[in-house]
Amino acid sequence: MLTHANRKSIVNRRFRPARGAVAPGSTAIRRVVTWLSVWAVGALLIGCGGGGGGGSSAPASQNTAAPTITPLIQAQPTESELNAASRFASRASLGMNYDQIRALSIKGHDSWLEEQFALPVEYHDEMVADLIQRTEDGEFDEATQPDPDVLPFVFRRYVWWHRALSSDDVLRQRVAFALSEIFVVSEVGGLGDTERALPNFYDVLLARAFGNYRSLLRAVTLHPSMGFYLSHVNNSKADPDNNIYPDENFARENMQLFSIGLYKMNPNGSYQYDANGDPIPAYTDDDIREFAKVFTGLSWGGENARFGRKWANYVVPMEMFDEYHEPGVKKLLNGFEVPAGQTGMEDIEDAIDNIFNHANVGPFIGRQLIQRLVTSNPSPEYVGRVAEAFADNGLGVRGDMKAVIRSVLLDPEATADPGTYAQFGKLREPILRIVSIGRQFHIQSTSDYFFHGGYWFQNQLRQHPLSSPSVFNFFLPSHMPAGEIAEANLVAPEFQITTNPAVIGISNLAQHMIWADEIGGVQSPPFGEMSVNLHEYGVLATDVQGLIDRLDMVLTYGTLSEATRDAIGATLVTIADPVERAKWAIYLFLISPDFAVML
Amino acid sequence: MVSRRSFLGHGCSLGVAATTLTSSMATLGFARQAAAQQSFSDYKALVCVCLNGGNDSYNMLVPVDSDQHTEYESIRTDLALEQSSLLTLPGASNDGRSYGLHPNMSETFDLYGDSDIAFIANVGTLIDYVDAAAVEAGARVPLGIGSHNDQIAQWQTARPDKRVPEGWGGRLADLMQGVNADNGISMNISLAGTNAFQSGKRTVEYAINRDGDGARRIWGYEGEWKKTIIDRLFEAEHDHPFRREYKRRLVGAIDTGERFVEAIRNGTPVDTTFSEGDFSAGLRQIARVIAAREQFGASRQTFFINVWGWDHHDEVLDNHVRMLPEISLGLAEFKSALIELGVFDQVSTFTISDFGRTLTTNGKGSDHGWGGHQMVMGGAVRGGQIYGDYPTLSASSPLDVGRGVYVPTTAVDQYFAELALWFGVSQTDLPLVLPNVRRFYSASDTSPPLGFLA
Repeated sequence: MLTHANRKSIVNRRFRPARGAVAPGSTAIRRVVTWLSVWAVGALLIGCGGGGGGGSSAPASQNTAAPTITPLIQAQPTESELNAASRFASRASLGMNYDQIRALSIKGHDSWLEEQFALPVEYHDEMVADLIQRTEDGEFDEATQPDPDVLPFVFRRYVWWHRALSSDDVLRQRVAFALSEIFVVSEVGGLGDTERALPNFYDVLLARAFGNYRSLLRAVTLHPSMGFYLSHVNNSKADPDNNIYPDENFARENMQLFSIGLYKMNPNGSYQYDANGDPIPAYTDDDIREFAKVFTGLSWGGENARFGRKWANYVVPMEMFDEYHEPGVKKLLNGFEVPAGQTGMEDIEDAIDNIFNHANVGPFIGRQLIQRLVTSNPSPEYVGRVAEAFADNGLGVRGDMKAVIRSVLLDPEATADPGTYAQFGKLREPILRIVSIGRQFHIQSTSDYFFHGGYWFQNQLRQHPLSSPSVFNFFLPSHMPAGEIAEANLVAPEFQITTNPAVIGISNLAQHMIWADEIGGVQSPPFGEMSVNLHEYGVLATDVQGLIDRLDMVLTYGTLSEATRDAIGATLVTIADPVERAKWAIYLFLISPDFAVML
Repeated sequence: MVSRRSFLGHGCSLGVAATTLTSSMATLGFARQAAAQQSFSDYKALVCVCLNGGNDSYNMLVPVDSDQHTEYESIRTDLALEQSSLLTLPGASNDGRSYGLHPNMSETFDLYGDSDIAFIANVGTLIDYVDAAAVEAGARVPLGIGSHNDQIAQWQTARPDKRVPEGWGGRLADLMQGVNADNGISMNISLAGTNAFQSGKRTVEYAINRDGDGARRIWGYEGEWKKTIIDRLFEAEHDHPFRREYKRRLVGAIDTGERFVEAIRNGTPVDTTFSEGDFSAGLRQIARVIAAREQFGASRQTFFINVWGWDHHDEVLDNHVRMLPEISLGLAEFKSALIELGVFDQVSTFTISDFGRTLTTNGKGSDHGWGGHQMVMGGAVRGGQIYGDYPTLSASSPLDVGRGVYVPTTAVDQYFAELALWFGVSQTDLPLVLPNVRRFYSASDTSPPLGFLA
């Protein structure tokens, strides 16, 4: 390995004429580094098991029931098998390096899925709670940044990055993130002022990502963070004398965004239209008012629970207080009536059943999961197959998320060769691009943690987990960028946050991460520093085409355009030092449209 | 008169002008697009100064008449400023009373004396006019009263009834961006990154830094070698429409950054000296952009600048002594620069803040309130006056919802409507920018909402 000093001298020698062009030493970078330390963004750790991105591995496969027979001598996967595995990984994981992709290819995608389903959940909130306790115990010095008064509010971000960069249960973390963009709560709007509201909510998504959708919807409904965010906590029955009526906020968004959507759908997700050619609404304002009655009577749970208590408790589900629950019949969807005289929770269970059994849920949720994981514009047939899996997992069970996820990831449309369907593909979400850089390039930490505050990323990207500006997520599933995409009648949701500053920002972030060995990794006292390890690519870089081939396999799974390949190659042949050549190769890949858009 | 040609004439290094957000005014989702079609022969700018955290503005603008000051002291107790320390503003207010400024705001005192700054008293977020009794009875009030995130968002979105991502500056730009040159640089320029105020459905802010030449650029692109390899990468053609769109956006953003830097460097130099603090430095950068308005091809611009740290649950008195002078001095410096540039009449600078704070003390500072006082500065401002109603301070005020939290007597919609009308929004288009404005300001009203702008 080169020493730090050696690297510097190589950089300076090779690129002196263009030094201003090279990240190291630029004032911009120094500013950033300062900023990072101020905000304590960073991170972490080395050492701990699994550091360096060694992802899912042998012990897990022994836990699965799947009949995996591991031959002593593995067959060498073919190039097309490796590309297929890499492509699958880009959807089902948070990013895999070459060795992990190869292992996935050998294991088989189905087996890998079953193995992931069986892995223990790597929760967020318990880790946050532990860190808060350590802070209260005085472990962190007054001089640390942020100081101990502020740290607890940053821990949930630290832990999100720690799991994103180092967990083994990558499918679950990936799906939970997708779910967090459907069942939206956000630190924008007050939840950021508490320490555990958001990680505890995220745990609900993690815990139920592979469970049943009904259980997920129920847990979301009763979670205090959602109660706060959509204001059905302390939502009382009507008091007509004082002109007070139940809050309709949750009742509306629950149907519009979390379950059935605005319009009645066919099983393949297409809208149903009336005689005038207008889509038929899935619910009316009257329906919203009826559901609003159902969601009355809930308040914070836990000790000293009473309705209307100001003191919030974000770590236990909301509790029902029947005296504040709207009595009487509620007329819900499809002619179903909740009878009078039930308890509040009986009403809620009935209402959840009513929504859960609505024909829209499968195509509505299925289509969004396809969009988050695989492609922006799935065919009706693809949506229909996923909806079928939602309706019946093969054993007569409705709402089995494992069946839905299998269907989303293993569908023939998803696995057909790139280019088979002209409109197939999606723009990667910016925050997941950053995560994948870490995972695919062996991010390491000098401590036991891969912590990161993420504020700088957020500033650059306009995206950070659980920080959507509203319940409508960072982007809408229906967003059509003006221009040729809209003209082709395609949606491309992620383009909604692909603004001028954001595309520059992500390119500079990539540069920062690649050259971390020279300009400093991401730091966060007292938790150390993280940086990627590009040794593997430095070794490969003696052969320009070999280097490009490997990156094309790992990052773009064989979909690198010839023109981009030629452009990168023309640059790389001018760089003699293999380490620098590897860095520039990775940088150019990461900022290219070829990597940004996964086909 | 702005010459758009002068801007477009500059060579674009990458040859693609790429505004993705502003080029298709035809697709604007508005029923009316009158303003989008029109053009302006003059230049105007709005500068939004966000005092983030909730300025305790009842200690910024304080009653000095003995009876009201006595009442003030009895409510604020250990947070009260001494009567003799206040900078008594000249003239009586519209309520016949006298008010004084925080003793460390001497520049603002002078601006007021020169009729260049006005105060809007007890303004805040409202869904409709209410008093404490109505609130007690369950009248609709803004979502998340007392919540920082909700309240600072609502000051920017003017939607206290709903959590929406779009701000009224963004809606302004959705309506008006077409009056500026189509060069990819947003009408809305932020010194504070992403913000709700400047986010529209079709528009986002263009974020710049307060130091250097401002623009976010690809690191090192100004160097020949880096430029060569980046340009080479993006010469590649793509088969997939998403890849083509991504390339257009990135190339456009690179180009925009380069053009921004070129434009600001070619603007009229700003000689006024600014102090070193972040606020002054940010205002200086805004002045530089305004000085380069012809290079930007801009006839309308908004700016957003954030000053953090006003959440004074603790040590409000000391913090005010430290922080108010930075605001006061920065505003005075900004005025000097705008006068130097000859555009003081064309730039209106206004403050927002999450909320006022409790008049009562928590023993160290004050807690989250509701209504508060704001400032607006500019040559067009009929300064030297206090607009709106400064509440009569009293332990039994009908506006007091508890702990000396006063219900606003003027809605942010009125405050902003006056600014928007001055900026060039028509009376008929006003609800496109401020959706709730008709609750507070009738379409048939021929006088301005508050009257602070000429």
